[in-house]
Amino acid sequence: MNILKLVARNLFRKKGRFVFTLLGISIGMASFVALLSMGENMQSVVKAQAESLGASFMIMPENICIYNQMAIVTGETISESMEYKVFEDLTAVNDVTIIPHLTQKTSIKDKPSVVAGILPRETYAFKVWEMNEGVFFESDDQNAVVVGIDFAETRNLRVGETVTVKGEQLPVIGILAKTQGNDDMTMFAPLTVVQRLFNKDGYISYMSARVKDMSKIEAYEDAILKIANVQVATNDKLLESVLSIIGSVNSTLRLIAGVALIAAAFGIINTMMTAVYERRREIGILCALGGRAGTIFKVFLIESGVYGLLGGCVGVVAGYVVSVFAAPIINREGLDMLKGVSAEASIDIKLVLTAVIVSFVISILSGLYPALKASKLTPVEAVSYG
Amino acid sequence: MDKEYSIIKTEGLEKLYGKGAVKTHALKGVDIEIPTGAFTCITGPSGHGKSTLLNLIGGLDKPTAGKVFIGGVDITGLSNGKLAAIRASKIGFVFQFFNLLQNLTALENIQTAMMLNPAIKLTSKAQKEKAAELLELVGLLNKADAKPYELSGGQQQRVSIARALANNPDILLMDEPTGNLDTESEKEVLEHIFAVHKTGKTVIIVTHNDSLAKKAELLLEIRDGRCLNYTP
Ligand SMILES: Nc1ncnc2c1ncn2[C@@H]1O[C@H](COP(=O)(O)OP(=O)(O)O)[C@@H](O)[C@H]1O
Ligand SMILES: [Mg+2]
Repeated sequence: MNILKLVARNLFRKKGRFVFTLLGISIGMASFVALLSMGENMQSVVKAQAESLGASFMIMPENICIYNQMAIVTGETISESMEYKVFEDLTAVNDVTIIPHLTQKTSIKDKPSVVAGILPRETYAFKVWEMNEGVFFESDDQNAVVVGIDFAETRNLRVGETVTVKGEQLPVIGILAKTQGNDDMTMFAPLTVVQRLFNKDGYISYMSARVKDMSKIEAYEDAILKIANVQVATNDKLLESVLSIIGSVNSTLRLIAGVALIAAAFGIINTMMTAVYERRREIGILCALGGRAGTIFKVFLIESGVYGLLGGCVGVVAGYVVSVFAAPIINREGLDMLKGVSAEASIDIKLVLTAVIVSFVISILSGLYPALKASKLTPVEAVSYG
Repeated sequence: MDKEYSIIKTEGLEKLYGKGAVKTHALKGVDIEIPTGAFTCITGPSGHGKSTLLNLIGGLDKPTAGKVFIGGVDITGLSNGKLAAIRASKIGFVFQFFNLLQNLTALENIQTAMMLNPAIKLTSKAQKEKAAELLELVGLLNKADAKPYELSGGQQQRVSIARALANNPDILLMDEPTGNLDTESEKEVLEHIFAVHKTGKTVIIVTHNDSLAKKAELLLEIRDGRCLNYTP
């Protein structure tokens, strides 16, 4: 017999209560892990997408709001438009390569989809694309689409099939090789085709630009702003503002996780207080047998610590399972920002350790008061009366 | 009586329970001496201070005034930790109710007492062997793995006696150990108590059983917080 064995016997004596208390802390920890790992993943996904934009800076409508900036980074459509003429004006700036995009929402095989109108030749060169299958556009007004590889996969599209956009049948002539960015989840068509189909003649959504010499980027920005009423943002700046939004989302998630943990802590306190009350006679017996206050304190503290360790481990596993399975569901509900999270959900050792330690510390703190109560009981009353 | 032979001695022992308005003067000055190895019975009406006296002697509670000597050592001023060590190594308790830890087997109950003794650290194997010996002593080796609720009241008290012996204490304090038993079980338990006394232990029993009291080498009667009769 030793203290750990005594604790083990105490833990399992009320199996239902043990399981429910453990569930409480496990659910708390699971939400902690799920919310934190989703937040982390969101950040890394957005960073990867921003890198894959393949541009030095973005040229956007003048009054674009931060949510639309975020939409550009994450490959969504944006509501603002600007005139195609602005693009033509800006081609006058030397040493800057600019390509226009017109992004629109549509539905392909019952899935919400983004169709991007592009200048085929210029964009192909700008993006350094390669074909996985089929061919690229041959002319600037070809009535056809080329799709990203994930777009094709998720919708079961093959080269040679046709898709219906705005009531018009367009053949899928090619599938792009993997780019690791939004382009994988996008359907492309020549700019003029998209303009015609969506009644956006003469309009584009935004432009991507690349410069030869990054050190002179400010000079180019000035040159652009002199010519047109637009907003210019480098990728870094865009990323920064998008990450700041994600950051505030993250702190909200952390807050929710914190509340779940506090609830779990009270679950442990409640269980341990009940246990102290129920076992006051046994505490008296332990005293009579020579148990010190410190020993009794230890017995109860270890007991609640075990809840923390077990709950932490169960919670971490459950949390990762949730974050892997929940992200696609959240996706379907329309939070496209989380796109790709599930694919990238990786097990972060630091987060695992943090979670288990947090859980252990919380349970130890929760056990302090009940354990102190137990160690201060006067044994005489407990053992004397029936 | 010579001090050398008194394993237990009290001087002007008083106990006042409660704070504030409701106070109970449970002991009002008790002076007793119990010789080493004496079979001692404490009798008296309910609520007159017998348990209080036993608990003070055993260091389970602290007196309001007066002193308790165990083996010539004044334990009155000792820290809680030192008192616990004395309870663990020198004293074995048997109570009327709720003696056993309900979630542990008979054997584990005895092992727990060994675990709580800081003076001797035994391996798990040694604990088990010794606990089994003690169970054999009270005739319950076949119940080693039984939980308390699987035992009769008499069997539970016999396990309690075995557990009280776990650390080979000099003194056994028993508070109405047969108070809750039928006559048949009581007889059996008492036989084991007599046997234990014969091994040289000082046994102090609170009892309402007159025929047991008659067998006592020392009989104390506690009435209204005082020790009335003191018949060696
Ligand atoms: N822990 C306690 N708190 C307050 N009063 C107590 C406590 N223990 C005993 N008493 C009171 O002290 C008196 C003596 O009790 P006790 O020693 O248990 O008597 P006995 O064992 O002779 O029946 C009783 O009046 C009882 O109510
Ligand atoms: Mg009593």
